[in-house]
Amino acid sequence: MKLLQKTIRNYFIYSVFILLVAIPLFYFSIQRIVREDVDDDLLATKEMLRPKISNALLNNAIDQLHFVDQNISISISTYTREFDSLLTVEIYDSVAKEIAPHRVLTSHFTVNGKPCFLKVKTSLVDNDELIKSIATVEVILLLLLLAGLFIINRNLSKRIWKPFYATLGKLRKYKVEKHEPLALSKSSVSEFNDLNTSLEELTDRTHNSYLSQKEFTENASHEMQSPLAVFQSKLELLMQTAPLNEEQAQLMGDLADASQRMTRLNKSLVLLTKIDNNQFAETENISVNKVLQIFIQQYQPQLYEKQIRITKAFQTEISSTANKALIEILIGNLLGNAIRHNYINGSIDLFIKQNTLIIQNTGKAVALDGQKIFQRFQKDSTDSNSTGLGLEIVKKICAIYNCIISYHFADNLHCFTVQFNNL
Amino acid sequence: MKLLIVEDEIQLSKSMATYLLRQGYTCDIAYDYKEGLDKMDSFEYDCILLDISLPGGSGLQLLKNLKADNKLEGVIIISAKDAIDEKIEGLNLGADDYMPKPFHLSELNARVAAVIRRKKFQGSSVLVFNELTIDLLAKTVLVNNKPVDISKKEYDLLLYLVSSKNRVISKNAIAENISGDGVDLYDNFDFIYAHIKNLKRKLTAAGCDDYIKSVYGMGYKFTI
Repeated sequence: MKLLQKTIRNYFIYSVFILLVAIPLFYFSIQRIVREDVDDDLLATKEMLRPKISNALLNNAIDQLHFVDQNISISISTYTREFDSLLTVEIYDSVAKEIAPHRVLTSHFTVNGKPCFLKVKTSLVDNDELIKSIATVEVILLLLLLAGLFIINRNLSKRIWKPFYATLGKLRKYKVEKHEPLALSKSSVSEFNDLNTSLEELTDRTHNSYLSQKEFTENASHEMQSPLAVFQSKLELLMQTAPLNEEQAQLMGDLADASQRMTRLNKSLVLLTKIDNNQFAETENISVNKVLQIFIQQYQPQLYEKQIRITKAFQTEISSTANKALIEILIGNLLGNAIRHNYINGSIDLFIKQNTLIIQNTGKAVALDGQKIFQRFQKDSTDSNSTGLGLEIVKKICAIYNCIISYHFADNLHCFTVQFNNL
Repeated sequence: MKLLIVEDEIQLSKSMATYLLRQGYTCDIAYDYKEGLDKMDSFEYDCILLDISLPGGSGLQLLKNLKADNKLEGVIIISAKDAIDEKIEGLNLGADDYMPKPFHLSELNARVAAVIRRKKFQGSSVLVFNELTIDLLAKTVLVNNKPVDISKKEYDLLLYLVSSKNRVISKNAIAENISGDGVDLYDNFDFIYAHIKNLKRKLTAAGCDDYIKSVYGMGYKFTI
């Protein structure tokens, strides 16, 4: 969930909750206030009427006591106890000609020793109308207020978080090997400025450690060459010494193999650092088909040695501007792997369709780990001939030319697909 | 035949000198730019083995000076960098060959021999070992003056073995010599064995002595 959605969601939930609670609460409390007011009025009327009733009783003229107001009626009660009761009753209103809620005060009291019964009622229709109007206005106000708050908050959040999103966008594009300065803009929020400063420092540090690591690999692989050359030459001189027994000869042969592996590994490392250093900048127009054809030719002896059948299905020609050496390394490595990891009487199928090159070969009947194979030194431990850097180099070259390389295993065939996008 | 080795790695230059000395060359060694310059100015060499990164200057500069003086020495550049542009620059400046470090001494020896042959005999030359004759121009092999039908791979292999005669050449060096960069695609060195076997069979069938000896665990040797 996005940051803005999350903050606004909480506001929204709170607002709806407040609305749901506030509207009935508000309605009922207003209603209560109005009821109390009406009740007070009714009781006041009763108190006002008491002296009049008292006079009428003295004159024994209670029956003559008539009121203009039809809402008041009085009679002699049989009760001796004094009490008031207030009730809301639905009564037919002759004026409005409909049944309407009324508040009725029924009061039993004794005047000059005579029990009286007074009934005063008042219609609640007008009051209810009033309550409804007030409530409606209040609800509208409340809704407007919340909507306003909601919108202002969202816009404010958007504005406040804008530098954050800008920073995020720049970070996403940041590549440690290229290290274009982030150039994060100043914000009015100090936390964001702190964040930006920290990020700039962090990327600088990361880039520096990347550089020193790269430099180290570069130096290490270069410095390794001289002692390797010395080692190899001394070993060759040692081979010329006599007499040598079989055991010594075997040991020297093994040493020579080891030194050969070191040399190969070293060459691959040097190549990797060169690719990292963009030392293959010159470009020319290259046909992938032709390069592939040349390598098939070049690897004829190896293919013959393993009796590997090769089939080709080139539907289109992939060609574009790139560094020739890199494309050669890319294709040479992939085809080389298809030969190296194949078995005797195996097969290799090469397809070119649109902008895609597919190299498919027989080999071990187990799928490789698609995640790991492109990492350095992820190799078949049994194969001393592979350096474990071949696919890493392939991946690097693909990254330079925005090609997509993928691996899958189906029908006991290992299949590498290279999509030449921007070639 | 006199060679100059310009190489600052003392142990490597010593190894090179020792190997080449046993092949019958006289070797001078220069350990830095100035020494190299002095020796090039003072003496004539048949071939110069030139390292590019030297204390005091670049080997490429030495090459430029050499060519500016119109000297005819063959030059083989030996570099730790294995950079394509450097290789091209060196060859454009007039170097005869380029070898990235590390290399096999037997390979170096073969290249030195090839450069000297090209310079001295303008490519026309025959190597004769008793009944065996190798015509370097026609790239043919004769036994008792009768041509032997051998493949190009076998010819290259024979020439390589002959160039370091009486020396053990490791299987790695042979494999690299005959298959170049694709050497690591082989599961084992059986293919060398197959080539050697064919070569020996063809030569002995033509009446040639079996000069190619297998050295257990290490490689092969052309003994004469």
